[in-house]
Amino acid sequence: MEEEKKQFSIELSPRWERVWLLAKMDFLQRYYGSSLGLLWAFLNPLARLLVYYFVFSYIIFKNQDPDFILYLFMGIIVWGFFLEMTKRGMKALEMKRYLLENVEINRHDIQLAHSFTVVFAFGFNILMYFVFCFFFDVSFGLPLLWFFPLLAILYVFSLGVSLVLSTIFIQIRDLDHIWEIVLLIGFWTVPIIWDQSFIFDHYRFMLYVSPITGELINFRDILLYNRMPHMDLLLYDLAYTVIFYLGALAFFKRFAKGAAQRR
Amino acid sequence: MSQDVMIQLKNVSKTFHVREGDGSSLQSRVFSFFSRKKQRQIKAVQSVNFEVKRGEFVGIIGRNGSGKSTLVHLMTGAYEADPGGIRNINGTYIRLSLGLGFNQQLSARQNVILNASILGMPLKEIREKFDSIIDFAELEDFTETKLKFFSKGMKARLAFSIAMHTNTEILLMDEFFGGVGDENFKKKADKVFKETVLSGRTIIHVSHNLKTIQQYCKRVILIEKGKIVKDGSPEEVIPIYREILKDIRERRSSNNAV
Repeated sequence: MEEEKKQFSIELSPRWERVWLLAKMDFLQRYYGSSLGLLWAFLNPLARLLVYYFVFSYIIFKNQDPDFILYLFMGIIVWGFFLEMTKRGMKALEMKRYLLENVEINRHDIQLAHSFTVVFAFGFNILMYFVFCFFFDVSFGLPLLWFFPLLAILYVFSLGVSLVLSTIFIQIRDLDHIWEIVLLIGFWTVPIIWDQSFIFDHYRFMLYVSPITGELINFRDILLYNRMPHMDLLLYDLAYTVIFYLGALAFFKRFAKGAAQRR
Repeated sequence: MSQDVMIQLKNVSKTFHVREGDGSSLQSRVFSFFSRKKQRQIKAVQSVNFEVKRGEFVGIIGRNGSGKSTLVHLMTGAYEADPGGIRNINGTYIRLSLGLGFNQQLSARQNVILNASILGMPLKEIREKFDSIIDFAELEDFTETKLKFFSKGMKARLAFSIAMHTNTEILLMDEFFGGVGDENFKKKADKVFKETVLSGRTIIHVSHNLKTIQQYCKRVILIEKGKIVKDGSPEEVIPIYREILKDIRERRSSNNAV
C-alpha cells in the first residue's frame, strides 16, 4: 500500500506543497461538508442551464435549434468560472484570517490556493459538457488543442481581478454588493444567452472591453463549432490579460498588507 | 539587520481610525467623509523601538488596553504599521493564543497538516511526526473530529503541540501560557518549554501573570498607553508596573471618595 502511494507522489517544493495543501483543504471544506458533495459544483450550472433553456427557447425566442442548449451551456460554464473566481477570490484573504493573524503566509499563495478549487469545478463542468455533447451531433478535432491556452488566459485574467477585488475588500466591505451588481450587468453584456453574431455586427467594441467576450467566443469555436479560434481575439485577450495581471499584482503587493486588521 | 536580531521594530506606531457605528459600509464612509469629527483616532502604539535577539525570552506586560496585543500583531505584520515605521521579523513564527488559528470546519488531522506545512515542515516529516503531535496534545480520540467541536483548551493544546514539534523559531504567546490544560498537561508543557528555551528559540510572552514572567523572562518590556515605559530585567521593571497599578487604584478610590 505504502509502495503504491509513493509511486504516485510527486516531489514538490515546500512552497508548492503548502499551496497544494491549502487548495486541498479549501476543496474539502467546500465539497465534503455537504451530503451531495462535488455534485453541487455541477447542479448549480445545470439548474441555470435548464431555466434559461426553457425560458428562452420555448417562451421568448421560440428558438428550437438543438445546438442552443450547448451554446448556452458553454456560456454558463465560462461565465460561471469568472464569477466563482472573483466572488470567492474577493473574500479569500478574509476567509484565511485565522492563518494571517497567527503565522507567516504569503498572501498571493492564498489566492492561488483558492483558485484551484474553482479550476477543478470548471474541469468537472467541461467533462459534463462533453457528456452532453454525446447526445448531439458535435464533432471535435484539432482546434481542441487550443483549450489549455484559452483556459490559461481566462484563469490569469480572473486571478488578476480577484487580486484587485480582495485588496479593495479589505477597506470597503460594500464591494461585495457592488460586485454582485457588476456581475449581473456583466452577465447580459456577454453573449451567454443572446446570439454572439450581434457582437460582430453591431457591438464590436464589446470585444475589447474585457477579455471575457472574446474568450467565450473562442471557447465556443473550439468546443462547439470545431473550428480554429479567432486569432486576433486570442492575441488581444492575451496582451490584455498579461498587462492587467501585472498591474493587479503590483497593486496587490503594495496594498494588501494589513489584511488581518479588524474594521 | 544582523543575523542574530529576530524581531526589529523601529519607530513603529499604530493608529486605529475608529468610526462610530458600523463604519465599514460605503454609506457610512460617504457620510463620515462630510463629518470627519465622527472618526476617532486611537493611538494604540506610539513610536516603539526595540530589538529581540535570537534565543531571548522577552515578557511584555501592561494593563488591559495598553497595546500589548496590538504590538504582537505589528510584529507579525498582521497589522500594518503607520507610515514611517520599520518592522522586521527574521524567521518562522507562530502566534499562540487561546482558541485561535485553526479552521473550524476541518478536522484536527487536516489542521495539523496545514499548520505544520505553513510553519515550514515538509509533508513527509509531518506524516512522521503526526502521531507524536497528537499524543502530546492528548487528542488521540479526536484526530478526525472537526475543530468546531473542540473546547478552547483542546485547541490551545493542539496549537502548543504543533508549535513545539515544528522548528518554529519565534513563538509569540498572547496571554497563552499558563492557561493551557490541566495540571498534568501544564507540568508536561513546562518541561518541554524549558527544553525549547534552551534550544535557542525566541519567545515573546505577553501576559498579566507576573509569576510566569518572573519565572521565565530575562527581559521584560512594560507598556503603558501604547508607549514603552521601561525595558529591562524583571527586577527593574515589575516594581514599576506594580507602582502604576497602585497609583491607579489610589486615584480611583480617591475619586470614589469625592
